[in-house]
Amino acid sequence: MSGFVAGKHHSNNQTFSLAARFAFRELRGGLKGFYIFIACIALGVAAIAGVTSVSRALTEGISQEGQSILGGDLSFRLIHRQADADEQDFLNSLGTISEIATLRAMARSDDGEEQALVELKAVDDVYPLYGEMRLQSGQPLETALAKQNEIWGAVAELALLARLNVEVGDTLSLGRTNIQITGIIENEPDKLAGGMEFGPRLMISKDAIADTGLIQPGSLVRWLYRVRIDPAPSINALETIIKDAEKTKADAGWRIRSRANASPGLQRSIDRFAQFLTLVGLTALVVGGVGVANAIRAYLETKREVIASFKCLGATGGFVFQIYLVQMLVLAMIGIAIGLVLGALIPFAAGAALSSVLPVKLVTSIYPMELGLGLIYGLLTALAFALWPLGRAHDVPPTALFRDIVTGGSKWPRKRYLFATAVTVIALAAIAILLAHDKRIATIYIGASAGAFVLLVAVARIIMAVAKRLPTVRSTELRLAIANIHRPGALTPSVVLSLGLGLSLLVALALIDGNLRRELTATIADKAPSFFFVDIQSHERDAFEALLTKEAPTSSIQSVPMLRGRIVSLNGIASEDFVPVQEGSDWVLRGDRGITYEPSLPENSKLSEGEWWPENYTGTPLVSFDAEAATDLGLNIGDSVTVNVLGREISAEIANFRDVEWQSLAINFVLVFSPNTFAGAPHAHLMTLGWEDEVAVDTELALLKEVSNTFPTVTAVRVKDAISQVNDLVAQLAWAIRGASSITLIASILVLAGALAAGHRSRIYDAVILKTIGATRGRLILAYGLEYAILGLTTAVFALLAGGVAAWYVITRIMGGSFVLMPVTATSAALIALVLTVGFGLIGTWRVLGEKPAPVLRNL
Amino acid sequence: MTNAPAIALKNVHLTLGEGAGQVHILKGIDLEISKGTSVGLVGPSGSGKSTLLMVMAGLERADEGAVKVANSELGPMSEDQLARFRGRNVGIIFQSFHLVPNMTALENVAVPLELAGDGSAFDKAKAELEAVGLGNRMHHYPAQMSGGEQQRVAVARALVVEPEILIADEPTGNLDESTGTQIVDLMFTAQRERGTTLVLVTHDPNLAEKCDRTIRVRSGEIEETVAAPKKEVSA
Repeated sequence: MSGFVAGKHHSNNQTFSLAARFAFRELRGGLKGFYIFIACIALGVAAIAGVTSVSRALTEGISQEGQSILGGDLSFRLIHRQADADEQDFLNSLGTISEIATLRAMARSDDGEEQALVELKAVDDVYPLYGEMRLQSGQPLETALAKQNEIWGAVAELALLARLNVEVGDTLSLGRTNIQITGIIENEPDKLAGGMEFGPRLMISKDAIADTGLIQPGSLVRWLYRVRIDPAPSINALETIIKDAEKTKADAGWRIRSRANASPGLQRSIDRFAQFLTLVGLTALVVGGVGVANAIRAYLETKREVIASFKCLGATGGFVFQIYLVQMLVLAMIGIAIGLVLGALIPFAAGAALSSVLPVKLVTSIYPMELGLGLIYGLLTALAFALWPLGRAHDVPPTALFRDIVTGGSKWPRKRYLFATAVTVIALAAIAILLAHDKRIATIYIGASAGAFVLLVAVARIIMAVAKRLPTVRSTELRLAIANIHRPGALTPSVVLSLGLGLSLLVALALIDGNLRRELTATIADKAPSFFFVDIQSHERDAFEALLTKEAPTSSIQSVPMLRGRIVSLNGIASEDFVPVQEGSDWVLRGDRGITYEPSLPENSKLSEGEWWPENYTGTPLVSFDAEAATDLGLNIGDSVTVNVLGREISAEIANFRDVEWQSLAINFVLVFSPNTFAGAPHAHLMTLGWEDEVAVDTELALLKEVSNTFPTVTAVRVKDAISQVNDLVAQLAWAIRGASSITLIASILVLAGALAAGHRSRIYDAVILKTIGATRGRLILAYGLEYAILGLTTAVFALLAGGVAAWYVITRIMGGSFVLMPVTATSAALIALVLTVGFGLIGTWRVLGEKPAPVLRNL
Repeated sequence: MTNAPAIALKNVHLTLGEGAGQVHILKGIDLEISKGTSVGLVGPSGSGKSTLLMVMAGLERADEGAVKVANSELGPMSEDQLARFRGRNVGIIFQSFHLVPNMTALENVAVPLELAGDGSAFDKAKAELEAVGLGNRMHHYPAQMSGGEQQRVAVARALVVEPEILIADEPTGNLDESTGTQIVDLMFTAQRERGTTLVLVTHDPNLAEKCDRTIRVRSGEIEETVAAPKKEVSA
């Protein structure tokens, strides 16, 4: 050997910058053929950037309006009881105090004909400390709530007036007193600080609440102490005050929040919802990725000769890869830029369009971090789908210029490109999981999507293999359709993959939504009692039960003592610091819980571990814990639970675990104590009433009327009303989710359109040749229609199976419900798939079929 | 200076295709081509002449035998080394020109120099284009030029690196007679004036006659070698 190897002397000449120069020369040809590529990336990036920007704008809104949402710089909440003198002194030392009581109660029309559950709020003169309380009439709140002619004034949301069929100026009964509606609430600044609402707001003066008789020992009332500090201290200073208050007034059992954390529930919901929609956006991006891969593959196919020329002129495989990588990155950046512009505009559009629906004002702005996330997702997706086909360009042989080599399908790229693809895919999944609030759900989602992707690739191959092996059929049209399904360059993989992913997601979401609502409306309503009655005082318990038995003799009635308290610590670890072993039951540690005591095992429960206490047990206080929550929290029999009830901390030892069927909506408690734990503590009772068989609405309403009129301080919750309230919420969420997931379907359509366009030339050729030799337009349409229909149907069947399995998993394993396959959903999915594939497919070829063969033949 | 041949092939075999579709294309080719000479490869379609050309250019690897071109053994080279080798030592002219459509004539000619890291790539490309009579078409794209002009760009591109070997696969196959003659003149002038070794595949007996030697290939074997009588190529 001569020892002369040209490459060794010039190994560094083919630099990335030279590749970039070549790439830009090639891009002079314009973006033709890349519109689908760009649209796919733009759509996914816009979805992700838009969702995260809106979420951020909402979060900023909550944060900027923190003081008015919370109603102060700090808020101290007590359950059942007012702050004592010591606590009042402590609070007064902090700044200006506003004292508010909130509870649920029944408001009745003057004639006793109509009644409604209301979210009652009793406020003092200084309310609100921050923000503006606005009435429709414009009159000041203080005037509206004042006592005039011996009757207290009250303001309400319009919904209450409609429910009770009353107007401003009319009188209502509330507890043991009457109130006069003096105004309609237009804006309540701290409305979001409360939790889930079961009825419209009714606001009265704090001085009026005593007259209602609604506040009794053990009544379910929350006392809120808002503090305004001037000048407003920093968040850190507020945190110091909170720590100090928790230390010096450890027994108070109050829950303290600062303006930085004004509405944690809402914030959590926004975060989770945004996270879910981001995953949906990512799915759209992945579906679009199929379009990216198709576009790159088709582009490189047209560039085979150029690549071979470069190689003949001395370019290495790696250099060729770089040339096309740069081109792909430029195109991806164009798509990403369009997506980011759209995504950045979405909060502005949402702010304008949804201002009446959104809970807080969107702080619209350009959020670079959120847009950056869209950029990263867009870039990684483009790379994940492009590296494979680009890697194959490395090995385009220079001999391609000399002979027609059959462009065979599945030659794998070199290991380095497979490795790079794998790294990109892992990075994409890792970012999505790391940024997720619920990493378990995100992991399952991404795992399921990846699984569906791999399965769909397999399904496409199986369809092609089966079509290839089918015996020859008599019908020419069917034969042509089958041949088109398995021929090299067939539409099958693109259609099955892109449409399959989009449809599977839609089917899964539709089935989850359908099952959730069925669970709410049918299953729960069947099992659940008709009424919950709360705040029944001990002295009126027997009379109340007697009334129920008299008015509804065929019903079954359950009664339990009811207190509210919150878990302060588990095994001596403060609930704020307690780390559950797995996710799912952290809600038990947040906020206050219903608490009861029972001498024997409750009816709806099953002992799963440990022993129930003896009937007249008098030893160390014992507690029975919900088994599932205990598992999630990592608790064992014998562990200690400390709760704060009525300002007292009570510790008990876990004696047993119970399996609780929460969906039944019967009386259920996470914590059931031994009766001696609360001996002598003042408390109210909770009763449920249910009928074995469905009763007429009138019967329910008649009972409600009788109970409300006889026991005005008892609050009745009609389960059907509560369910319809939840159902409305689920329906709204479902629409939002469906709206977001339709982006995935749009991505599917784009990919489909791209795949059909890519195959368009060979379709024209086939069609014209067949027409030349005598095929009629009708027969060709039939053949193509059959091909598209077979692909669409097979994809729909897969989507039904995959979406069904995913929905089943979510409903039964994650949500613990029961699953039913819904045929209407199934059929709609099949129809969507059919309409899309056949429709788009035929639109593409229709024009060609109408043309005379000669001119087309001349241009081929 | 040694008198080593520009191209030396010893017992070269090549089989293409897989399984039942395998075709034994080159069957023990022994061939030496002296520096600065011109050789015409002729023979019926499918005889293996283009494949033989590709083996000489390092575009196709021999299954068996030794290939030495411009003093380099091609057998042990990797794909990338072969690419760089071609860039420096072999100029190739195709029947279908194969210019890069989105590059101007000047850029097309500069490509091999740029790939070789030549700092004055564009100056040399400009000079080469002027030499083939396209000084006024430098900034035109291939689609804006006639077939003859495109092939002249291709010739300029092949010659710009001053290759030791110039290879042409039916260079006039897509051109009319008079345009074809211009291209042939350009190639033979370069061979004569620059001392380049020219190997071309052709079906045109007149073109083959212009070469110093004609090699007839049939069924993957060299059937006969005919040395042409010495004569001038008209300019």
